Amino acid sequence: MRTHRIRQLAPALLALLALPITLPANELAALREQLRQLEQKILILERKQELKDEAAAAAAKSAAKVTVSDGRVEIASADGAASLRLRGLVQGDYRWYDAANEPNDTFILRRARLIFEGRFNNVFSYVIQPELAGTIQILDANVNVAFTPAFNVRVGKFKTPVGLEQLQSDPVAFFNERSVATNLTPNRDVGVQFHGDVLGKTLNYTVALLNGVPDAGNNTTGSADFDSDKTVAVRLFATPFAHDKDSALNGLGVGFAASVGDYATASGRTSGYRTDGQQTFFAYDSSVVANGRGFTWSPQAYYYGGPLGILAEYVGSAIEVQRGTLAGREVKNHGYNLSVGYVLTGEDSSYRGVTPRTAFNPAAGTWGAFEVVARLAGVDIDDTVFAGTAAGRLANPSVSATQLTTYGFGLNWHLSRSVRTNFDVFRNEFDLAPGAAPAANALITEAETTFITRVQVAF
Amino acid sequence: MKLSSLFLIAAALATAGVAAAKNIQLLNVSYDPTRELYTDFNRAFAAHWEAKTGDVVTVKQSHGGSGKQARSVIDGLPADVVTLALAGDVDALHANGRLIPADWQQRLPHNSAPYTSTIVFLVRAGNPRGIKDWDDLAKPGVSVITPNPKTSGGAQWNYLAAWEFARRKLGGDEAAKVFVRTLYKNVPVLDSGARGSTTTFVQRGIGDVFISWENEAFLALKEFGPDKFEIVVPSLSILAEPTVTVVDKVVKKKGTAEVARAYLEYLYSEEGQDIAGRHFYRPAVSAKAKAKYAAQFPQVELFTIGEAFGGWAQAKKTHFADGGTFDQIYAP
Repeated sequence: MRTHRIRQLAPALLALLALPITLPANELAALREQLRQLEQKILILERKQELKDEAAAAAAKSAAKVTVSDGRVEIASADGAASLRLRGLVQGDYRWYDAANEPNDTFILRRARLIFEGRFNNVFSYVIQPELAGTIQILDANVNVAFTPAFNVRVGKFKTPVGLEQLQSDPVAFFNERSVATNLTPNRDVGVQFHGDVLGKTLNYTVALLNGVPDAGNNTTGSADFDSDKTVAVRLFATPFAHDKDSALNGLGVGFAASVGDYATASGRTSGYRTDGQQTFFAYDSSVVANGRGFTWSPQAYYYGGPLGILAEYVGSAIEVQRGTLAGREVKNHGYNLSVGYVLTGEDSSYRGVTPRTAFNPAAGTWGAFEVVARLAGVDIDDTVFAGTAAGRLANPSVSATQLTTYGFGLNWHLSRSVRTNFDVFRNEFDLAPGAAPAANALITEAETTFITRVQVAF
Repeated sequence: MKLSSLFLIAAALATAGVAAAKNIQLLNVSYDPTRELYTDFNRAFAAHWEAKTGDVVTVKQSHGGSGKQARSVIDGLPADVVTLALAGDVDALHANGRLIPADWQQRLPHNSAPYTSTIVFLVRAGNPRGIKDWDDLAKPGVSVITPNPKTSGGAQWNYLAAWEFARRKLGGDEAAKVFVRTLYKNVPVLDSGARGSTTTFVQRGIGDVFISWENEAFLALKEFGPDKFEIVVPSLSILAEPTVTVVDKVVKKKGTAEVARAYLEYLYSEEGQDIAGRHFYRPAVSAKAKAKYAAQFPQVELFTIGEAFGGWAQAKKTHFADGGTFDQIYAP
């Protein structure tokens, strides 16, 4: 402001000097000196402002950057080499069951997680993800060292690299519950993993050495192995056309995963396999334990092209189990999943989810994105587990089904990048083993129909 | 193929790999006015090193106020070498960062100062304010440009030169303090480095006199001509000894110790000394370069930091540390 006034004054003074007024030489010199001093003052003020601006620009360059978007908070160093990202996931469900299962109708806080992700020195990164709903536990806690994009080492607790849908992030899956095929894939475990992208980032490989967990199992405590045997999991997943943007197969991914390990568990092979409605349709007898070699394999693929998304996987599981002191035997179970999604509003579907073009805002006439999804999945239990007498069989055919086939349909409404609602209907049909005589109120007596709604905030 | 043949092939390949030319990158963190000097010197050293070893060296430069630059290196700027305005700033790399050993100054000739300089005055053509010596800078109405001694090595040389002049002329430190306070009341803008002050005086047209590195004053004269500026040499000035060192901790980590050491040693070579003289720095060791450029440097009585202030450690503590004389005499 002061500079501005002086600037306004200067032309007036100049004009005054230009007037044909005869002044004594000493007065003229004094006026010139005044003018010089005024000019100096202006220059000094301008220079000081320039230095302030330079200092502010330099400070801004070196200052940490805080970014807040859709609830996500990220603090990053000026050079981007270090950052801390705070994320969260909350899923609130309501489950309606058919008349036979109506007592199970419930509100449920399905997931409530705070996720801390950070990296430093451009090489190290870490994730700490506690689960605060249901069983309170640390889901993920691991450190990743990225020596090169082709060679990373991860140590800690993380997802076992086997199931395609299991490896997909919870909030972006097509349905609000993963398919029944994931009953057969191991979940989170503790160990060390080597992984990276090779062949121009068209092939991802993962090799992990882990304590070993049962099908669909979680190492919930992150504690030591309960036997000395370890599990090795290997996964290869190729996206051969990923760099060919014009190819119709650009979004194709094909892979194969397997895990193998010896088990000698005291707690049984698994706590039970669940339907889409999250009720147990199969469980081993309580005295059955895993005792021997376990092998899981899974060919898997996805395809994402524009608004269309398809995810398919097959899971085979062979495990040596033993009931009490009886002779052990191998049990082979199989599962499959074919899921399809289509974004009605035209956004791209992807393994990482759907990003709506607009956020829900009725005042602006924008509604977010809508996606319809469908799924066919199933689990086939080895018939031999039901063979034998009540004292010798591995599972009770009157409580557990030998086969489950599920049909799912749903509508996903992506209200914004971080808010989504789901409306899913599941039909679960059971095949009973020979000799099964389930009680009238047993789950497997009739098909289970479930309607599950969800409101989810994931940022 | 026999196993021994395979070994021979492998050994040959390994030798070829070792013998292959390397691309080496160095970072020279320097003070403000050395941009042009090191642009030339880096080119010369790269040619010399490639001829000697076959390796290609690229030297990146970083410039700023000397004190500020030292802090950046202590804070993690990966400098292979520092070429700073004064030994006190290099000392900080040992004292505050343990990046170099305590005896760093003994590792290269002439106390690791390959060239010297001094402080002179740059005034506007015709010297309209009649500036002749330091006491003219403290007169009312004289506008003086000098950088901030808190961030600039050059500014510390300026400050100490003014102080010693006053102490000798007026008798004692108290009189010197009053003199320097009066002088700094005439300073309208404190830039963070010498190059910033050059911009203030030369390009923005602010001030009557610029207390300047000798080389910086000559550079302004060369670029803008004697019809714009004049150099005034005071009756007394300080022998400024910019110093250099390899940053041991960084070169050890990067594996660049050998080339970094050679880089600094080359400053003492005939070519290095000549380049220094060409850029108006006083060559420190080469008799040939000294003789070649003697005529361009004015005769002036010079005192050293050791003689007048007991060395940099003492001078910094007394004058530039928090609460030192500069903090006492200067109020923005």
